[in-house]
Amino acid sequence: MSKRIFQHPEAPAGGKKYWRSLGQLNDTPAFRGWLEREFPQGASELKGGDVSRRSFLQLMGASMALAGLSFAGCRRPVKHLIPFTKGTEWSIPGKALFFSTSMPTRRGYQPLLAETHDGRPTKIEGNPGHPASKGATDTWAQSSILDLYDPDRARFFKLKGEKKTAADFEKALDETIAGAGDGAGLAFLLEGNPSPTRERLRGEIERKFPKALWAVYEPLGDDAAVEAAKAAFGEGVRAVAQIEKADIILSLDADFLGSDGGVTQQRAFASRRKVDGGNVMSRLYTVENHYTITGGAADHRLRVPASEVGAVALELAAAISAISKDESLSKLAGAVAKTAAKSREEWIKITAEDLVANRGKSLVLAGSRQPAGVQALVLAINAALGNLGTTLVGAKTTAKPTAGIADVVRGINDNSLTSIIIVGGNPAYNAPVDFDFAAKLKTVPNVVRVGFYEDETSDFVTWHAPLSHYLESWGDGFAADGSYVSVQPMILPLYGGWSELDVLGKFAGLKKTDGLGLVQETFKEIVKPNDFTAVWAKFLHDGFVAGETPKPIALTLSAEAVGKLVAEKLPMAALDGDSYEVVLVGDSKVDDGRYANNGWLQELPDPITKLTWDNAALISPATAKKLGIDTSAGFFKDHFHYARIEISVGERKLDLPALVIPGHAENSITIPLGYGRTKAGRVGTVGKTSEGFVTDSDEMTSGGFNGYALCTSAAPYFMTGAKVKLTGKTYKLGVTQEHGSLEGRGPDITREATLEEFKAEPKFAKTMGMDGHIPRDASLYQHPPLNDIHQWAMAIDLNTCIGCSACMVACQAENNVPIVGKRQVIEGREMHWLRMDRYFASTDENDADPELVSQPMMCQHCENAPCETVCPVNATVHSEDGLNVMAYNRCIGTRYCANNCPFKVRRFNFFDYNERKIAKLRDWNLTSERGMEDSLKLSKNPNVTVRMRGVMEKCTFCVQRIQEAKIAAKVAIRDQGPARIPADMFTSACAQVCPTGAIVFGDKKNPESAVSKLLENERGYRLFEYLSLSARVTYLARIRNPNPKMPGAEKSGKAIKGSEYFHPHHAEPTHEAAPGASNGGHA
Amino acid sequence: MANIFPRGSNFLPFKIILCLAVAGGAVSLAVPYYFTPKYTRVGYQPQQPVNFSHQIHAGQLGMDCRYCHSFVEVAAHSNVPTTQVCMNCHSQVQKENPKLAPVRESWATGKSIEWVQIHKTPDYVYFNHSAHVNRGVSCVSCHGKVNEMAVVYHAESHSMSWCLDCHRAPQDFVRPLDKITDLNWEAPQLENESKKEAQQRVGKGLVEKLQLNPPDKNCAGCHR
Repeated sequence: MSKRIFQHPEAPAGGKKYWRSLGQLNDTPAFRGWLEREFPQGASELKGGDVSRRSFLQLMGASMALAGLSFAGCRRPVKHLIPFTKGTEWSIPGKALFFSTSMPTRRGYQPLLAETHDGRPTKIEGNPGHPASKGATDTWAQSSILDLYDPDRARFFKLKGEKKTAADFEKALDETIAGAGDGAGLAFLLEGNPSPTRERLRGEIERKFPKALWAVYEPLGDDAAVEAAKAAFGEGVRAVAQIEKADIILSLDADFLGSDGGVTQQRAFASRRKVDGGNVMSRLYTVENHYTITGGAADHRLRVPASEVGAVALELAAAISAISKDESLSKLAGAVAKTAAKSREEWIKITAEDLVANRGKSLVLAGSRQPAGVQALVLAINAALGNLGTTLVGAKTTAKPTAGIADVVRGINDNSLTSIIIVGGNPAYNAPVDFDFAAKLKTVPNVVRVGFYEDETSDFVTWHAPLSHYLESWGDGFAADGSYVSVQPMILPLYGGWSELDVLGKFAGLKKTDGLGLVQETFKEIVKPNDFTAVWAKFLHDGFVAGETPKPIALTLSAEAVGKLVAEKLPMAALDGDSYEVVLVGDSKVDDGRYANNGWLQELPDPITKLTWDNAALISPATAKKLGIDTSAGFFKDHFHYARIEISVGERKLDLPALVIPGHAENSITIPLGYGRTKAGRVGTVGKTSEGFVTDSDEMTSGGFNGYALCTSAAPYFMTGAKVKLTGKTYKLGVTQEHGSLEGRGPDITREATLEEFKAEPKFAKTMGMDGHIPRDASLYQHPPLNDIHQWAMAIDLNTCIGCSACMVACQAENNVPIVGKRQVIEGREMHWLRMDRYFASTDENDADPELVSQPMMCQHCENAPCETVCPVNATVHSEDGLNVMAYNRCIGTRYCANNCPFKVRRFNFFDYNERKIAKLRDWNLTSERGMEDSLKLSKNPNVTVRMRGVMEKCTFCVQRIQEAKIAAKVAIRDQGPARIPADMFTSACAQVCPTGAIVFGDKKNPESAVSKLLENERGYRLFEYLSLSARVTYLARIRNPNPKMPGAEKSGKAIKGSEYFHPHHAEPTHEAAPGASNGGHA
Repeated sequence: MANIFPRGSNFLPFKIILCLAVAGGAVSLAVPYYFTPKYTRVGYQPQQPVNFSHQIHAGQLGMDCRYCHSFVEVAAHSNVPTTQVCMNCHSQVQKENPKLAPVRESWATGKSIEWVQIHKTPDYVYFNHSAHVNRGVSCVSCHGKVNEMAVVYHAESHSMSWCLDCHRAPQDFVRPLDKITDLNWEAPQLENESKKEAQQRVGKGLVEKLQLNPPDKNCAGCHR
């Protein structure tokens, strides 16, 4: 009798399908091949490379013999304990210290709390006291710790490539200052940075060198929005969107949850997406050309090429003025209105009705890449909707206007510049190509660069000095909400770098030129403290000046100025059939290229495309078909090879692989910027990757393609009239979307409903799929009792999860998760303990507008864990407090547990990834030199084992934090009874970083904890209940809030309307539902 | 045909088997004894850079352990004192003692004294001093009678089974919190009570009062 195999019930035809890739949607042989193996064929065998099986055995034999000869392993190594000679204040060996600081970004400083161990920062958290952070951060703040310890950082002072000392550099600066006269010929080229001390130094420098040029360049800046706000509302005012106050939001190409926003916006949006506690849910309409996480969170999404967004804004203005009879808006719309595209007429009309019906409670946002005319028109629309003063308020801005990179180029062209001081940035790489900045820089006699890396720009400078990291320097700045925040160093500059303030202070010629002194002076000016010492200490302790929030400024729209901008700067372009539009966007990981050498970010799968280590031209399935990319076999022959296309815009050309992304606008090509770096460091520079021990020995390249090659000063972000052709070549991409696939159990895994469905049936999620029918807790195995006073559990609200992936990087930083490199990612060996599953959902296979759901997936800590029963050495067992624990020192690497895990969240450390040298990231093999870079050792969390080869790893629910809290409770209670951890005293790294509060971790046995309340939530469901897993992670179903009048609204909501899928012949409570038999369809 | 092998060689297979059995037996007995922490660690007594005597300081002078190991109650590590702590007294006492030359030198130069580590848990073990000394485990339980050691040595095996001996039966070891650093303390015996019984009586009371529940099956208690 053959073994009976438990088959997962098939989803009935007609329901909504959830899929991660087109290969899965079309069920291609390549996808099936991938699915049925945990790793691709041969991944666990030795093949190719330069070490054959024979030489491997020789090596092993030789090392065994040597080990036997020396007996070195038998002797106990002598280790030393080295105390300080003098005690250091606050420092307790082995205890972490937390300091507030903040991270400078172009849109405002991000308030942070840095965890330091024995004087070295190891983890970044958001500043829990700051209202704009509340403990949350974005991916970039999380990964900045790796930047600090990057072994590729600029370390030396160099004069034309020759090593010099800091004193030489200082002398050279003195000479430059002495020779600058009144500043004619002197230019500063800096990054965007809202620091009042920098502004103050600028004033001093401009006084001393009145003719000096002060220029700021940010390739992904907000110049257009600033220009429009200035024209509409006057000098010194900026418009701040109050997303949390808006009932209806329309985003016109504004990725305010992603590249156009930050933690503040994400939190504000999520606060209105909660359905519990009588919260009124907001509705989000999105108009965009490529899927962004904002589009993924939207209730309605219109795919429009970026160059037609201006036309959409005009059509919207016309539609709104037609309903509300607003004359001034009608005039604006009428002035340039073209005939509306029929396909979107209804969408715009219904959206306009909804906006008008919610006067004063609606909000329209324009993306930063849209020109000033669109920005101005959107401000006028908001004014007509009565949103000024309610959802769009004014704030004072102290930033004085600056010159741009164009002025610097002009100066170089007419030979009026003799000295350029470049601090940060990387203009030789990211300036618009028509400036030919690198070549121009060569003609300037004296270029001083203070940069974090020796990068593309460093090749063209006279002096290069290392820039200090923000964790190494003093500073101050304004956060996104306008509060004044501090930057304090956690560690002395590792390589003696100078901060921006150090350099500018030198030019300002003030008495105090050190960062601390400069910042303190500014602090005195801004805060005007009575008791400086106390107020300053509080400023450093809190990280910001608490106080009343500045009153919003009344906004009055200047219709005339807006009309002028709309008339002049709202380009109308309609795409014809043969030409394409190219859209250059900031990357979700490397931003404008500045984080290209950060391995955590390079290996982080993009929230939408799931692409790692590269960028690609994103196109829609229909455009791919039109270009002749074969879609029938699933777009690529073997999951790795992607067709390359050549894009030409005028004379400029770019040849890069095309990645087909559903939900992309037709005839539009999106290229994330920041890749194709030629000199970024050993991680980010474009280079060949060829490792030993891989399934095929093809050479491959990582590092992506430089989108700036198409970027011009006239059209920096999008351009029409591009020609595209297939080159016939392919390129390998590491896309993780099919890794850890849960075999099409979509509707069971991600449950959702519309707000109406939810109101009609609040407990809908509990009866979806098989959950209503299968008896629970039917296990063959006896488990240790779960009798601890704490029982750990997690709740993940899919309704507020936007998929930003900050949790993934936070997990990586907290748990010493190594990066593996592009080739290993392609082999399916990425080590992330927490992955962000992204599903597209559609009823119709050919639907060009699939919905999008993001779902964080980590170890579910099943009470009846299938992994535990198959471990032959008891390396993974259950603890009394409900954790599925992993004892690395016991693991022998059979990988049975990973095979038996229904969630595919266990990761196997194949090749000692922690011991790989950065230099060997690309061409590593077994004979390569081993050992972690010294500086990277400093970045590790001392409370988590750095795992070795041959060991299974997985999410531990941050057990080190649990233990720390337990021990703290023991120390506090001493002999007065049981050591109970107070509710929500600590949380896991992913929950802590989550800007929307979607992940909540805690003690479910404590009725006061947030998680215990969420577990009772009516939307709650656990995965695969029919396998009797009793998971400790509860997901809360997603609720969408579609406008019932909108065509296509009926698509949204429950996967199968009105019924559940259920197959009677699987329903009887048999032992097959026990964890031991949970191996899906291929036991 | 003459015999090639002498008669005695008939017994050779038996002799070989006997030898192998004895040798095998010896190996199988020796490995579990000599290859264990009990043998490899206990008694490790390296020469320290300063001839510091716990016997004098903790024993004769009766200094509390926590005067020098000051963070033992709050941190995972029981810190080794800074040179400053030594100089608190030795700037007044034994100022010229040549044995203290390395300490004075460290104080003058700011260069740390490099003490040789004796007790070392493997990297995958996260032992926390504060969790133990605040919940009834005395220093003496793991480090032996340091107050009687002129030169400190490794007194206990610190193997995992040794840890579990206490984690599984804490009543045999725990003591009142005010006796943690009293290395000579023994549970006061009642009439007709053995030492062991006295300890168990006191220990049981403490286990109940503190509701001690040390991780005995939870790997993550010590391994993360």
